[in-house]
Amino acid sequence: MKDLKELKKIEEFSNQCMKCGFCSFFCPVYQEEKMETSVARGKNYLVKQVLAGKQEFTHEMADIIGKCLLCKRCAANCPAKTQIDRVVVAARAQLVKEKGLGAIKNFAFRKVMADRKAFGKYARLMQKFQWMMPTTEGKIKHLPDFVKGLGKRNFPSLAKTFLRDQIKPVYKPQNGEKPKMRVGFFMGCATDFVYPELGLKLIDFLTRHGVEVVVPEDQNCCGAAIYFSGDLETGRMLADLNIKAYKDLNVDYIVTACATCSSTLKDYQKYLPDTEEQKERYTEFEKKIKDSTEFVIDILKIPPEEFKLRKEFEGKTVTWHDPCHLVRYQNIKDQPRVILKALKGIKYVEMPNADMCCGMGGSFSVYHYDLTKKIAGKKMDGIKATGADIVVTACPGCMINLIDNVLLNKMPQKVHHFLELVE
Amino acid sequence: MLKESLISEFQKIVGKDNVLTSPEALKAYSYDGTTSWVHEPDVVIFPTSTDEVSRIMKLANAEKIPVTPRGGGTNVSGGSVPWHGGVVLVMTKFNQILKVDKENLTATVEPGVVLQDLTLRLAKEGLFFPPDPQSFLGATMGGIISENAGGPAGVKYGVTKQYVLGVEVVLPSGEVIHLGGRTLKNVVGYDLLHIFISSEGTLGVITKAELKLNPLPQARKTLCVVYDDVSIAGEGVFRVLENGVIPCKIEMVDNWVINRIEEMMPIGLPKDADACLFFEVDGIPEVVEKEAQKIAEITKQYGAKEARIAPNMDEANKYWLARRAGFAAVFGKAKQVFAEDVTVPRGNIPKFVKKIRELAKKYDVEIVVLGHAGDGNLHPAVLTDPANKDHYERALKAVDEIIESAAVEFGGVLSGEHGIGLEKQKFMRKVTEPAVINMMKGIKALIDPNNIMNPGKIWE
Repeated sequence: MKDLKELKKIEEFSNQCMKCGFCSFFCPVYQEEKMETSVARGKNYLVKQVLAGKQEFTHEMADIIGKCLLCKRCAANCPAKTQIDRVVVAARAQLVKEKGLGAIKNFAFRKVMADRKAFGKYARLMQKFQWMMPTTEGKIKHLPDFVKGLGKRNFPSLAKTFLRDQIKPVYKPQNGEKPKMRVGFFMGCATDFVYPELGLKLIDFLTRHGVEVVVPEDQNCCGAAIYFSGDLETGRMLADLNIKAYKDLNVDYIVTACATCSSTLKDYQKYLPDTEEQKERYTEFEKKIKDSTEFVIDILKIPPEEFKLRKEFEGKTVTWHDPCHLVRYQNIKDQPRVILKALKGIKYVEMPNADMCCGMGGSFSVYHYDLTKKIAGKKMDGIKATGADIVVTACPGCMINLIDNVLLNKMPQKVHHFLELVE
Repeated sequence: MLKESLISEFQKIVGKDNVLTSPEALKAYSYDGTTSWVHEPDVVIFPTSTDEVSRIMKLANAEKIPVTPRGGGTNVSGGSVPWHGGVVLVMTKFNQILKVDKENLTATVEPGVVLQDLTLRLAKEGLFFPPDPQSFLGATMGGIISENAGGPAGVKYGVTKQYVLGVEVVLPSGEVIHLGGRTLKNVVGYDLLHIFISSEGTLGVITKAELKLNPLPQARKTLCVVYDDVSIAGEGVFRVLENGVIPCKIEMVDNWVINRIEEMMPIGLPKDADACLFFEVDGIPEVVEKEAQKIAEITKQYGAKEARIAPNMDEANKYWLARRAGFAAVFGKAKQVFAEDVTVPRGNIPKFVKKIRELAKKYDVEIVVLGHAGDGNLHPAVLTDPANKDHYERALKAVDEIIESAAVEFGGVLSGEHGIGLEKQKFMRKVTEPAVINMMKGIKALIDPNNIMNPGKIWE
């Protein structure tokens, strides 16, 4: 009998599916492909077949469980409350166990992303050579014509100076008074390498509101791309490193400006534990984690009148895009809207499909870029319908994909993190 | 296994990407919304036009290969399971809404249109398609017509067959025919349209349909009426109707279901109630207000303990969310659930729910009721576990007796809206006159002499 340890862990979730097929309506991938293997019900059925010893992890099976954005729209709308995200992650983990990670992922996850110093080194190397990439506009670049086969993909430049190279270990409240709270800042890779200004803005905002911010140097990648790809082992290693990094800092909370990071840190307890001890430790860690949107509203309880709009955004119409990792992974829906509606000088318009995945799905967009573009296309329709000038969100991952697709669709909208709008 | 050459013929018709033969794909098209009916096809084909379907049918007919049409695969009868293998003809990519005609209140649709997509599109025009099978998020129009689906709104609006004016059908021979038309009245010869509606894919492939629509009601109002006795709740249903209010929905949940819903999502349903009825009225705002009050009066007059009129949409939505969650609540609590679809004349609901309670006691199994009380389609569900042999045997006996009592003792039918498929075959043979089954077989043989359309279903 084969060792199906990872799948056994989620067998009870898998059995919850009653095959009603409602997930098909909510699945962005199914909506494009219209095939049973795209949707949660089909994937779950095949996983059950693996559990029953009637299905192997073939190439096609690997493709099928790979082709999921983990946007959780199916799970959020499942009448039987099947946690299909856990089934998919466990299936990927089982696959990694049986077949290994593959050379590319093995290198990227274990040799680069799992090692903060190495990751920085490789990012710096890329940063040095990015002048070779043609500029789309401003800080956005795209692949040169001779590799157009890979698609004309637009992406933001890597920052001149990474956040890690300009950040201090401690920031005291700006009013000079005794801090009302002490929080750890978790930067995350995209903020570190692409959007360092977001990190600095968050710290500025927090310290102006009487919070002391500490930034441990030995923090690492949150591990999202890694554990959602099924590499639970490296995921656990990163979880342990990150927990350790904040352990003795005596912080009340750990705050990040990245929706994916906050949800990933919170969910160590859900996807990673192998032992009861880990489960307990990860659950303990979860309690400290707050997304920036959630932190300013629920914890700092900043009243609406204290949110001030930055001048350059005056008179603009803005709309909000719900990152999957906020709205469904963390149930954070109202907080960002409260902030945007509090900002005097802009007009807030709700997007018709605000909670629809942008199509990024981390490494999904690397392997299925055509699907990503189609799914993002629907997001773009929603954005167009609002007539907004600015799309606001709170996830650097979404930002990167939204910027790419706004440009591909020749739309005038700009994409910003909410922290960029507030003074 | 089908011949390689045949697969490549299919590929020539619909393109390579639209013909699947991998073991994974065949597994993914081996089931529907039921628990226990599974059979793999030999090939999965996605047509996107009538012409493609016609060419596929000609090939299949010549080779005498079974063809099972399938939409969203949300049916709960085994109807879209390819019981004899062969081709599964998946219509999900054949899914355009061709026309919405506001003047004539009609819509022309392809078979793969999902009901919810149609509903959203029609709402923009102030229209709606009244039949509301609760699988609307995944169910496609071809399947809805083939199963003659219905839902809670049946009490006021009826079921699918009342809203299909015409269909385009590809016969097993590949010939394309048109039945019905675009008019409300139509008596040109035999009413063949209605033989195809509810034929469960055994006669031909529906490739287009002309639907009758209604204008969208301006207002809705919801009530939750609480009862100490499920039989009195059953009586409440026809008392409301005979006193002149026709709600668009009357749904029943019993004590067991109420408590499971409250465990899943506490919304404040009375846990000690023996049953609740959820009413919805729709129409002109002033009328809707009046009707809601009238329902409250009548139900209280006939023994209801309490009638709550939802003050706003939020509360109303909560009740309907709870009602929808009911089904999941039932399925989550047992290894196997026999969700019956028996339907009795409304006047017999009180006697029938009493009988269900007696049977639960007699066989010592959990039988719960959550269904469309408004049209007598009660969906009693028997909870069991196949691993517990003794319990399972008793559950099967209870199912037998529920169906027999509904169909014989109380003058009802064994399926109201799910169809026969595979799941209800043995009961169909039991309660249907042999001459009627023979007539169905004769019609089938006339239209599908090679028996390639969804073989193994209904009376077999």
